Amino acid sequence: MKKVVVVGGGVAGMQTALSLKERGVEPVIVERTGALGGKLRNFHLLFPSMTPAAEVLKSFTDQVASSGIEVRLNEEFSDFSTDAPIVIASGFNVFDARLKEEYGYGIYDNVYTTVDVERMFNEGKVGLKDGSVPRRIAFVHCVGSRDEKVDQRHCSKVCCITGVKQAMELASLWPDAEIFNFYMDIRMFGPGYEELYQQAQQEAGINFIRGRVSEASPTIDGRIQIKAEDTLIGRPMKMTVDMLVLIVGMRGTDGGKFYRPRDLFGGSVLSDRPNVFYAGAATAPKTVGESIAEGVMAAEKVVQYLNDGN
Amino acid sequence: MEIISFYSGFVIPFLVGVSVLFAVVVYKFGRWFVRLPVEDRRLVRKNFFSRATVRALGECFMECLLHRKIWKVNPTLGYMHTAFAFGWFLLIVVGWVETVAYLGWRFVPLQGHIFFKFFTGGEHHWLVMDILLWYVLSGLVLAVYKRFRSRTLGMRRTTKLTFGDRVALSSLWFIFPLRLLAENFSGVMAFWWGYSIALGIFFVAMPFSRYMHIFTEVPLIFLRRWGIRSGERESSFDHFQLEACSRCGICIDPCQLQRDAGFRDVQSAYFIRDRRYNRLTRRVADNCLMCGRCEGRCPVGLQLDTLRLNSRHTLSGTPADGRFEYARKITNNPVISNECEKSTGQTVIASENEAICSNSQSSSSHPLGGRGETKNSQLSTPRIGFFGGCMTLLSPRILQSMEQIFAASGDDVWWADRNGGICCGRPLKLSGDIDAARDMMQMNTQLFEAQGITTLVTSCPICLRVFREDYRLEGIEVLHHSEYIARLIAEGCLSLRDSDEKMTYHDPCELGRGCGIYDAPRQVLASVGELVEPAETRSEALCCGSSLANFVVDDASQVAMARAVGAAFEATGAARVVTACPLCKKAIGRTSSLPTLDLAEVVAEKLNND
Amino acid sequence: MAIDFGYSVSQPRAVDLDRNDLSLAREIVREMPEFSACIACGGCTATCTAGNLTSFNFRLVQTLVRRGEYAGAYAEMNKCMLCGKCRLVCPRGINTRGVVRLIKRKLGDY
Repeated sequence: MKKVVVVGGGVAGMQTALSLKERGVEPVIVERTGALGGKLRNFHLLFPSMTPAAEVLKSFTDQVASSGIEVRLNEEFSDFSTDAPIVIASGFNVFDARLKEEYGYGIYDNVYTTVDVERMFNEGKVGLKDGSVPRRIAFVHCVGSRDEKVDQRHCSKVCCITGVKQAMELASLWPDAEIFNFYMDIRMFGPGYEELYQQAQQEAGINFIRGRVSEASPTIDGRIQIKAEDTLIGRPMKMTVDMLVLIVGMRGTDGGKFYRPRDLFGGSVLSDRPNVFYAGAATAPKTVGESIAEGVMAAEKVVQYLNDGN
Repeated sequence: MEIISFYSGFVIPFLVGVSVLFAVVVYKFGRWFVRLPVEDRRLVRKNFFSRATVRALGECFMECLLHRKIWKVNPTLGYMHTAFAFGWFLLIVVGWVETVAYLGWRFVPLQGHIFFKFFTGGEHHWLVMDILLWYVLSGLVLAVYKRFRSRTLGMRRTTKLTFGDRVALSSLWFIFPLRLLAENFSGVMAFWWGYSIALGIFFVAMPFSRYMHIFTEVPLIFLRRWGIRSGERESSFDHFQLEACSRCGICIDPCQLQRDAGFRDVQSAYFIRDRRYNRLTRRVADNCLMCGRCEGRCPVGLQLDTLRLNSRHTLSGTPADGRFEYARKITNNPVISNECEKSTGQTVIASENEAICSNSQSSSSHPLGGRGETKNSQLSTPRIGFFGGCMTLLSPRILQSMEQIFAASGDDVWWADRNGGICCGRPLKLSGDIDAARDMMQMNTQLFEAQGITTLVTSCPICLRVFREDYRLEGIEVLHHSEYIARLIAEGCLSLRDSDEKMTYHDPCELGRGCGIYDAPRQVLASVGELVEPAETRSEALCCGSSLANFVVDDASQVAMARAVGAAFEATGAARVVTACPLCKKAIGRTSSLPTLDLAEVVAEKLNND
Repeated sequence: MAIDFGYSVSQPRAVDLDRNDLSLAREIVREMPEFSACIACGGCTATCTAGNLTSFNFRLVQTLVRRGEYAGAYAEMNKCMLCGKCRLVCPRGINTRGVVRLIKRKLGDY
């Protein structure tokens, strides 16, 4: 019998493979990059519990290694004509912040994305380009989310909580820094999220300003001036910051779009083709936990398919 | 030779038709002419006895009869129009000669000429008249064919008809076949009656239909040759333009609103029709990119964009009322202006480069002239003002690139609007608010003059056009950044790395068709890479779809137009799309799979920093 | 000294949706459905060339119009320079300049 192909070695892919193996089906993980772990490899601490991403990642890679699942690294999967079952767990791409030119990413110093911040934490080098400590930091929510202008109509779901988490991390790193989060809506949908938001407001002293930043420009002393409307006051505001963090959204992997599942209920891991399944953020923005849960579900549906067909 | 009476009952419809036509045309032309503005009438008096009149005669022959411009756009369509116009014209002229040849010099009433064969019983007949009639009929066959199968004549769409058009068109189609029948079966009175009635109906319907263009184009050509133009406010001259439109429909195919966004009733032919019959709505007046693609092809040379603009003024212009006085706080305050300059971190560094270039007094033989060359010769060092315009302010990469280019040039630069400025006024003008726009222009003028700049550089073609067309900037030369950079390169003030990277170039409407700047950006591009042209380029270039002149289309339509433009660039095989307008850059960059950059960005990228 | 809270707060009464006549607002939305797609992010107002010099707040005025608060909307919209920056930043792709002109046309000097 042919092996079930799991496209993508992130958490969703690894969980799918593990669940398949448990049910006696032999999977093969095809991973484009040189290592398992997907986006989790770039993350530092996971919201809302601040669990180290490396810890979660290690438990998965250890299980995959010990279960003897075949892993093919540095391989791009493209043979969708096969009749072997395929689980697409290709996750998402991080939105390229350079497309929002008006925010100055890649143009001015000290404009970062949330992915950069995670990386800096992992590398232990958080700070401004010249190594100094910022006095004022602004986070911009919804960069590459809910934005027709960059063909990203959807809400990327996890950015709100990521912004809150990172603001708190920076606040605890630099207690004297003033931190401002510019948001359109704060969407705290998960368990413990709202609590974290409140903690950010009350304990970490993060300032939340309701307004979308329209543009950033450099100042004479090398800082960054941002413009927004404080929509709760109803007046435009300007603010100069030392560090600007763009909370970037998720972009689909199907030519920039997310794969469309058969339906959003029982068929959320099914595609239009009987032998093709989905798991994780390939179909929509999802959290790490949700992606793992979908891995289990996808494995279940694959097994059902194999039992029905053969 | 017997005396011919030249009368028969059937000529009455014809005579009535001709009389009505004559009366209406005289009334219309008279009224429009009398109402011409004083300065227009002065132009007529001044240029009446001049070579312009002779040229106008020549143009009338070439355009009204031969339809040279239609031939250039579409030869089949050209043949059709020439067959009708020139064929019919020759039928009349040769018919008159025939009459004279037969009867000698004597008075013959109009119907005598027209129904000559009837009154002479067909005994005298020139073969050439038959050939001419068949020539006209060949045009008619094409016309009928076009009405039902427009695509076969190279037109994807043909105009929709009004009631007057329908009556005139139907009778026109009958005129020549009936003439053929009448002249060949001279004894059948029904054919003569039919021919006369068809002529009569056509002549009555003519001044109320699109066929009014046949007469109107003649005075239009003369008035235009005498220097009269339509302007930002409606004037009586507009009537000559409106009724000279034959609704040929050549303007419909190039319209991107039609071909990419599905708007079928806003094109210039329809706009002019609606305005002519007093049923113009703001929706139609406002739904135009004013990209100029149709204006460039109009065989009658109508000022389509100007007419659209002055309609907007009439329909929706609101009084200035000093409503932009609040902006004076920025244009009257030199402190704010100086702050702008400081904030860029641009201080004048005396470099070797500057010594050579910035102070060189235009000994350059470059066609664009030397940079130092201005009317204000008492200023020894040129001082450049850079006006990014609203759109550039949202494109920081252009600003950053210009900063690097200015630094390399060594020029003394004042940043006019980087930390806040006011709009150039063109968007307001495009909306029809010309008085309020004027206020804004006056404020900016004051700001520029107070700074003592000798050159005003802008990276926005929208601003450029209004600076050149509407501002009165004494002693200040206005340049688009593409022209400025081209000069720097020509004078050897920029050291650039050439490459063999294939780049394609998008002509912004306001820069190309608007200001006639096609070569400067191409010269610049050629010095940093290899230029590959899209299928439609230069004066034929497509609009990005986001034109500020359009107040109606939604985001989806803009995206649809941008996609079509992007596809044309992808087909060139270029690695990147370069344009010279911040708005075009955003519009095309949104959908294109190729990176889309401003000209300044590619130049800054290729600067040799030593 | 009285604090200038901007445009709306100076109105003494509550927005009374029982009394406000929303028919004009509905008419405007019918003509330009995207008018109601605003998510009130304020990007337009933040970038507004006019709004950074005077009290013009596009987001606020168009919201008031949608609530049937028409008074003063025409005069406010008259401050717009139609430069188009707001349309470029609008995440919902609303034809903001079209909205300005539509409101001016529908409301006149209300």
